[in-house]
Amino acid sequence: MSSTRHRLIQLLVDTAEKDAYISGQQLSDQLGISRTAVWKHMKDLEHDGFGVKAVPNKGYRIEQFPNTLSVNAIQWGLTTKWLGQSIIHKQTTTSTQFTAHEAAQSDAKHGTVVVANEQTAGRGRLNRKWQSTKDKGIWMSIILRPKILPHLAPQLTLLTACAIAKVLRTDTSVDAQIKWPNDILINGKKVVGILTEMQAEQDQIQYVIVGIGINVNHTDEDLNDPLTERATSLYQETGLTWSLVQIIHRILDVFEDMYEIYLKQGFKPIKILWEQHAYRMNQLIRVTTHHHSEDVQFCGIADDGALLIEQAGDVRKIYSAEIDWDEKQDVAAAHEYGPPTVNEASD
Amino acid sequence: MLKVQEIRELIKLIDESSIDEFTYETNGTTVSMKKSTGQQVVNQVSKVEERSLPVAEAQPHVQTTEPATVVSQSDQAQGDTTAQAQSSATDYDYEIVSPMVGTFYEAASPESDPYVQVGSRVEQSTVVCIVEAMKLFNEIEAETNGEIVEILVKNGELVEYGQPLFRVKTK
Repeated sequence: MSSTRHRLIQLLVDTAEKDAYISGQQLSDQLGISRTAVWKHMKDLEHDGFGVKAVPNKGYRIEQFPNTLSVNAIQWGLTTKWLGQSIIHKQTTTSTQFTAHEAAQSDAKHGTVVVANEQTAGRGRLNRKWQSTKDKGIWMSIILRPKILPHLAPQLTLLTACAIAKVLRTDTSVDAQIKWPNDILINGKKVVGILTEMQAEQDQIQYVIVGIGINVNHTDEDLNDPLTERATSLYQETGLTWSLVQIIHRILDVFEDMYEIYLKQGFKPIKILWEQHAYRMNQLIRVTTHHHSEDVQFCGIADDGALLIEQAGDVRKIYSAEIDWDEKQDVAAAHEYGPPTVNEASD
Repeated sequence: MLKVQEIRELIKLIDESSIDEFTYETNGTTVSMKKSTGQQVVNQVSKVEERSLPVAEAQPHVQTTEPATVVSQSDQAQGDTTAQAQSSATDYDYEIVSPMVGTFYEAASPESDPYVQVGSRVEQSTVVCIVEAMKLFNEIEAETNGEIVEILVKNGELVEYGQPLFRVKTK
């Protein structure tokens, strides 16, 4: 986004907060652009769904905020320091992950956010398909360039889950739980999937892309595919329609805070938050590694984020495994591999 | 060849671990450690000199594609009697190692072809595999130019931090 547009939005935010007006001449002076350029910017904002009120001899004021996604709408009122200060918005993209990879490879900076109204080839773990209905959910990828060692980067997936769970719990009052490492469930049904991808050298991260998919305003009809019975949306859980823009704002806000805490204090504070909302903690789960399955007690996460399991007093760390989270009598759902995809028979 | 400081670091880590025997091999240099009666025995075998055949210069391509057996010789300067002869089956001079603990995936999805196979040419930024830990998918790049001569792990296998995944004959 151009810095002029960014400053224009800041000026309009300040004006709106004071319940005042700002004249075209004032905007023109402060931004160092012509009156005609100011007028064009205001038309652009209107086009994005902003309700611009223009009063003769007083000036402009924004009275309505768009609920449709656009760079302007997301930038408006965003209070983060670095996260989302650069935004790439697409009406339609194959997948925000693809777009973000391309952007990262063309030097997109730390904190760049890619958002799309619709994904035609949304994907989860190992390219599994992710259903991404137009305008119903949040399909977003965050580009990070963390100066941490690559083997610590998986902790960012747990951090992301903590940030989103916190927003959903506080803002939409749902009982969001985190299934290790990073799916978010409400009443056992998946509402958020997270897919994190990294390009790294042995001792240095080039970039990490955190892909986030949230089912927000999906109705029963949107998720009525028989394959999706274990998915849910915020609308289905609360009966309310939610503003995508506001949820994005809150996630970016909370994510940025947690990320900074993580850089300063390490994973410990994140671990505490994570365990507060862990799904099926202290219960039996079935872990499969090397084609060998065993029922073990899930007793939390280690200081590095690994899954801690206990069997006959023997506590072990798991970094990667196929995990069956279901209670054992639940035959219909015997195949659980924990992929971050919403609409999948096995999930 | 490892630096003295790095060997010291390794000894410390092995000492604190429950590992009894440890072998580290890279670029034809081998370090073996063995715990016996509370002491470590450290061997460093010097870089293996490739047997240079007269035809090697005229036909370098043959050399790189045909796996040649090389036998290491212990460093004469060390003259340690516990040195063990090391052998490796494939002619390679670079190993791509895992930057983290996780699951090794040879392809982007179960339906797609593996990123690389034995004989594949790779460049610095060629993606050779994915290692997944805690749902973070790390696309591993070759970080060298050359040819894959050996794949050391199987699809879906768990790998350790620093574990060699591929052997490469560099160009």
